[in-house]
Amino acid sequence: MRRTGVLTIASAILSAAASSAMAQGAQEIHVVLPEQPANLEPCGTIITNVGQILSQNVVEPLTAIDPKTGQPQPKLATEWTQVDPTAWHIRLREGVKFQDGSDFNAEAVVFSINRMTGGKITCSNNAKFGDAKLTVTAIDDLTVEIKSDKPQPILPTLLSVVMVVSPKTAEDKAVNDPVGTGPFKLSSFSPQAVVLEAFDGYWGNKPEITRATYVWRPESSIRAAMVETGEADLTPSIAIQDATNPETDFAYLNSETTAIRIDTSQPPLDDLRVRKALNLAIDWEGMGQLFGDDVKRASQMVVPGINGHDATLEPWPYDPEQAKKLLEEAAADGFAIDAEIKLIGRNGIYPNGAEAMEAMMTMWQAVGLNVKLTMLDVADWLRYLQKPFPEERGANLLQMMHDNNKGDAAFTIPIFYRSSGNYSTLSDAALDKEIDAAMAATGEARTQSFKALFDKARKEVVADIPMFHMIGYTRVGPRLDWAPDITTNSEIPLANIRLKD
Amino acid sequence: MFSYIGRRASHSILSVIGLLTLVFFLTRLTGDPSALYLPLDATAEARAAFASLNGLDQPVHWQFAEYLKDLLQLDFGQSLRQNRSAMEVALQAFPETLKLALVAITLSTALAILVGSLAAARAGSLFDRIAGVASLAGASAPDFWVAIVGILVFAVGLELLPTSGTGTWAHWIMPIFVLTLRPFGLLVQVVRGAMLSALASPYIKTARAKGVRRTKIIFGHALRNSLLPIVTVAGDLATSLVNGAVVVETIFGWPGIGKLMIDAIIQRDFAVVQSTILVTATAIFILNIAVDLLYAFLDPRIRY
Repeated sequence: MRRTGVLTIASAILSAAASSAMAQGAQEIHVVLPEQPANLEPCGTIITNVGQILSQNVVEPLTAIDPKTGQPQPKLATEWTQVDPTAWHIRLREGVKFQDGSDFNAEAVVFSINRMTGGKITCSNNAKFGDAKLTVTAIDDLTVEIKSDKPQPILPTLLSVVMVVSPKTAEDKAVNDPVGTGPFKLSSFSPQAVVLEAFDGYWGNKPEITRATYVWRPESSIRAAMVETGEADLTPSIAIQDATNPETDFAYLNSETTAIRIDTSQPPLDDLRVRKALNLAIDWEGMGQLFGDDVKRASQMVVPGINGHDATLEPWPYDPEQAKKLLEEAAADGFAIDAEIKLIGRNGIYPNGAEAMEAMMTMWQAVGLNVKLTMLDVADWLRYLQKPFPEERGANLLQMMHDNNKGDAAFTIPIFYRSSGNYSTLSDAALDKEIDAAMAATGEARTQSFKALFDKARKEVVADIPMFHMIGYTRVGPRLDWAPDITTNSEIPLANIRLKD
Repeated sequence: MFSYIGRRASHSILSVIGLLTLVFFLTRLTGDPSALYLPLDATAEARAAFASLNGLDQPVHWQFAEYLKDLLQLDFGQSLRQNRSAMEVALQAFPETLKLALVAITLSTALAILVGSLAAARAGSLFDRIAGVASLAGASAPDFWVAIVGILVFAVGLELLPTSGTGTWAHWIMPIFVLTLRPFGLLVQVVRGAMLSALASPYIKTARAKGVRRTKIIFGHALRNSLLPIVTVAGDLATSLVNGAVVVETIFGWPGIGKLMIDAIIQRDFAVVQSTILVTATAIFILNIAVDLLYAFLDPRIRY
């Protein structure tokens, strides 16, 4: 009897402690991320865990990409006009204040872009501009001119990575206390949590949420459990095996496309028939089972919704007989199809990534190719991904995953298919010309040119093996009225989250 | 004794310098951090700019000379990822690990001494067998498994404890339980073994013959003479805990130095790797000297 009493008291105390830990203020939400943000530098919002906290919450970009159409929408910039191929005039929003009280104006935009491109701090977002040299000048208080050393037809799209920061921000030092114009200001940043609080002077509609706390747990099952028990309200990127509750777990196309890059410069992969055979030899339906029912078979390297995606382009079918036939023809023409081909995988690239490589190796071996799998860690794998490629690499196939959520195929095609592309193994002057023309085009002509290029890449060039458009799973607690979309991997705007009741 | 401490400390300083030199060159062998810090589509110029900004474009021996120069001024470098001093990062994480380690090692040693001594005193009894099985299970159960099952049962199923994190005393229960389990299991075996041989010694028989109370024989006579191996093993276990409890820190989101060190190694944040190693190595040297002094305190035959 006495023992039962002690147990009851102990469990009551523990319950009280647990529920106090779980208690949430009415307008406060808790978000649990997979990784700790290493820093809160607003120039690094393209890094997932930095962007998910800061982007559109603390700092705002000049434009925002519409997740459905991929088109840039006004944010801190309200209008833009291309005055000549290399110059744009950007009209800025009126009546905006920074969280430190400074005015948002043309000078602040000039400061933010110069800080990003100046080279005094490491700025990941700047990578989206490639090697373009930008010159920014204030025309009047609310208009800036952005000039580039080469035509930038998609400058408004690129402006979605320009996070405008207060002119009081250190120019030559990366910071952990960002000040922007967003609806939330940073309250605290410790190794345990980041806390954001509503900014009363926000120019737009007041968000329903007044306070957000971000914590991080790498283990997917723990994050899922935290939302289940009410300790957290939202967690992005849970593993497929943890997405077990259809009421709280949302599957969404997350802008990532998995693929194998074929090194077209190395025999026997320099033969088109061999490259086609590689695509035909894979049992795609079987492979799909590794990634869950919701993944979408890919025929190109960008997901639907990105300007240039061709919805009519068919993916490669599974036809091992045809693959064998093509390889026989190649062998008859003197191509050494029994030469060893290295399949280079990357540890932990995506869930079941190693299993996928094992399966593909076996399927290629089944049609007569001599494929050997090597799994590498990220640093070693990068040597094969990026130029300059290792001299002695030999015939190789490289496991990769490409993420383009920036609305335009310009962030994909030149890197993969232009001779100068950082990942490209091609060297085709005619194709380069077509890519350059597409990059300089605007409007419908741009869309059609990109579609034509994806068509060519799939049917004539065959420099890769597109696998699947991947799915992310996000668990959203019952208090929230919100669903993830293609942008969730890069930002979670708190202003879009509603509270039920 | 003070001269002994001075000698040990000077040896330790030499070892730390050797260790830091080794770590400096080994970390540089892992490759160029710019491959990991910049986005995959960063241009070659951007990578070169990153290397130059962080002094990584200089020859390694030059970087080492700079590192030594900075060390003399107690400048341990900047974290590439965290935009702040690497030593500040390490010193913020270390107390979190130390708190966990201290509680876990104290608790496991105290419990193991109690359980192990009683098991040895009643060798072959039901209690002895249960203690044997429980300690072996504790010593061999993988901590990530115990941690995840613990969360599923106590946080998700029974909703008695928070899943993870820090803040209230309830957040301590599961990490401490998981961290205590393995040292407890190992120490029970050590205590039991040492106590069995002590209890078979002639002086125990004499004490019994003199009519000394049973508890005094166990905890006063036999235990005191069994403490040396227990302290040795407990010291070893404490060393591994001070080094960071990576699994527990990762699963429970405990912001300790173990996970920080592993992340810094993976992400090639060289200054943080060096600082965390300097902090933990210093702590381990201090711990080892303390264990040596404890020997002398426990056994009057040991003199330094």
